[in-house]
Amino acid sequence: MHIVREAAPVRVELKLFATYRRYLPPHTAGNACHVTVPAGTPVVDLLAELGVPSQRGVSVVLINGHDASPDRVVEDGDVVAVFPALAGG
Amino acid sequence: MFGWHGKVLRVDLTSETISIEEIDPQVAKDFIGGRGWAIKVLYDEVDPGVDPLSPENKLFFASGPLTGTPAPTGNRYMVTTKAPLTGAIACSNSGGTYPTEMKRTGFDMFIFEGRAERPVYVWINADGSGDGPDVEIRPAPHLWGKPVPETTETLLQETDGKARVACIGPAGERLVKLASIMNDKHRAAGRSGVGAVMGSKNLKAVVVRGREGVNLAEPDQMRELCREVRRQVAADVKKGSTLREYGTAYVPNVTNEIGILPTHNFQTGVFEGVEGITGEVLTEKYLVRPKPCFGCPIACGRSTDLKGSRYEGDGEGPEYETIASLGSACGLDDMAAVTKANYLCNELGLDTISTGVTIACAMELYEKGILPEADVGMPLRFGDADAVIQLVEKTAYRDGFGDVLAEGSYRMADRYGHPELSITAKKQEFPGYDPRGSKGMGLLYATSNVGASHMAGDLAYMEVFGVPKKIDPLTIERKPWYIKHFEDLFTIIDAAGLCVFLSIRYLCDATDEVMPTRLTQLLNLATGAGYTVESLLEAGDRVYTLERLFLNRAGFTRADDTLPRRMLEEPMPEGPAAGHVVELDEMLPEFYRLRGWDEDGIPTDDRLAELGLDRREGLG
Repeated sequence: MHIVREAAPVRVELKLFATYRRYLPPHTAGNACHVTVPAGTPVVDLLAELGVPSQRGVSVVLINGHDASPDRVVEDGDVVAVFPALAGG
Repeated sequence: MFGWHGKVLRVDLTSETISIEEIDPQVAKDFIGGRGWAIKVLYDEVDPGVDPLSPENKLFFASGPLTGTPAPTGNRYMVTTKAPLTGAIACSNSGGTYPTEMKRTGFDMFIFEGRAERPVYVWINADGSGDGPDVEIRPAPHLWGKPVPETTETLLQETDGKARVACIGPAGERLVKLASIMNDKHRAAGRSGVGAVMGSKNLKAVVVRGREGVNLAEPDQMRELCREVRRQVAADVKKGSTLREYGTAYVPNVTNEIGILPTHNFQTGVFEGVEGITGEVLTEKYLVRPKPCFGCPIACGRSTDLKGSRYEGDGEGPEYETIASLGSACGLDDMAAVTKANYLCNELGLDTISTGVTIACAMELYEKGILPEADVGMPLRFGDADAVIQLVEKTAYRDGFGDVLAEGSYRMADRYGHPELSITAKKQEFPGYDPRGSKGMGLLYATSNVGASHMAGDLAYMEVFGVPKKIDPLTIERKPWYIKHFEDLFTIIDAAGLCVFLSIRYLCDATDEVMPTRLTQLLNLATGAGYTVESLLEAGDRVYTLERLFLNRAGFTRADDTLPRRMLEEPMPEGPAAGHVVELDEMLPEFYRLRGWDEDGIPTDDRLAELGLDRREGLG
């Protein structure tokens, strides 16, 4: 007999910079919020849920300050940061 | 000629003679324009060993073949000279409206040489009322000592209200090695001390007015391509333009997130006060409106006002580099204070990057007990906004400790026995990307012909911002190739008279190779020169290599292609780049090989022959 143990949901901090702040839930102070998602959620799905563009060439997606591929599964305590890909300083 | 006027104005300030010269069409093509033409003449005419502040040095204002054309962001000019801060060359780039007006005088480039006996300004009027351009050297003792806004206003009254002004402030007059040349009041050809060269020539300002259009080789096709680019930019802007809404001030959040925001004189790349110096704060509290350069569809410039803060004033800025240097590098978490310091730099004619990073270095020297309080005349801890603002002013006037700061951080730190605490390459202060977490930038700072500069080949586009593609900032893989390529690309963009913001994203291919395909088309439609992508890249390489030859003959070798010990030996202490240093020794040999330079960093005879250059040309 199999016992399917459902993994606990994971809580990540989502930071959206510049014009992407508009994708944060209404009344969010600053540029960050916390999001809880089921274990095993890839970052691309997390962002799609909120409507945040995540395609390469359009956005830069970082997890804990490092480049993240779209299928990278988020883990509890991760910091996901997203901003539009464009010229900088 | 098309694109180029083919004319150079030479002003000898010693003899007060003015001459007009024609440029050889082959030289025009081979060296592109702007920065390329300037180094060609500098190399041929100026002894590389010359004292940068002597009358023998020459100062070039150079537009490019796309300046003043319908090309989007074709609104730039370059200031080139032998630089007092570095002893290398300066290639300081500025936008605004002045460069377009300069091109409308009918000259592509101005050369200023010698030294006026007393302060003067040069008035170049080609408003169409005479037979041709009218060039006058006019007395300027009444302007000497005046800050930039007052100088500009006075000159507009004395000449033509529609004219445009480039001038120095008190810093340039006092030969401060961090002095800028300001145009349109708020735009800066900032780096390497170009303002001091102008001051050494007793040249307070260069005022231009013109109505001379640029002939285009294929005007209809050129306009069509420009319309297509503008449509693309407009579509992106419609989706939400970060640069228009926040300016480059949106960047501190990004660089802090990846752990490369210069903090406390580059002791770390993570700044706990970042929330106070973001673009969001600037936009919500102090932005009056976005301020575009001439004809620019992006509008990253900021027209701002400090009403409601503890400071007074209005002006333009700050942009990211200023926030990183006068802000986080000095530990300032107050956008109003950074903006005030920025206004002062603009008004007094100082480079915000080098000024901020030099003050940051003084703060570290002070906190480590190396720099006595008695020397500074005040406590100087990181985060002290009032101290930063006071020291900006003192630097411009060489007042008290400002006289030490005015020499830049390397000479200051060396004076106190700790040159290793100066965060410079070739004595020029780092811009806003700690290279321990952006390795390509480390190789760029070390090898750039102008010393540490992001504008020499800003690979942060790819390592940080994902334009046109994202690459890993923490590896050294392929970075020598990218840096060589970006240095050549940025040379072409500078020489063409374009802004890099638009050029990398909209005029280069969005591939790993980042080839300047559309940029080549644009240059051909303007000039009819018939460049291929390959021959244009080779022209960029030619200009870059000639600049390097000038440096070699001025005494620069591989030993100068280096970084401060902190970057090479002290791992980043925290954040995503924790544990990293710049592996410069692993990148440099491959970079030299790709450039066709020998192991001492000197271009080989074979490479020079391929580029059509001759090291025996010129003086020195």
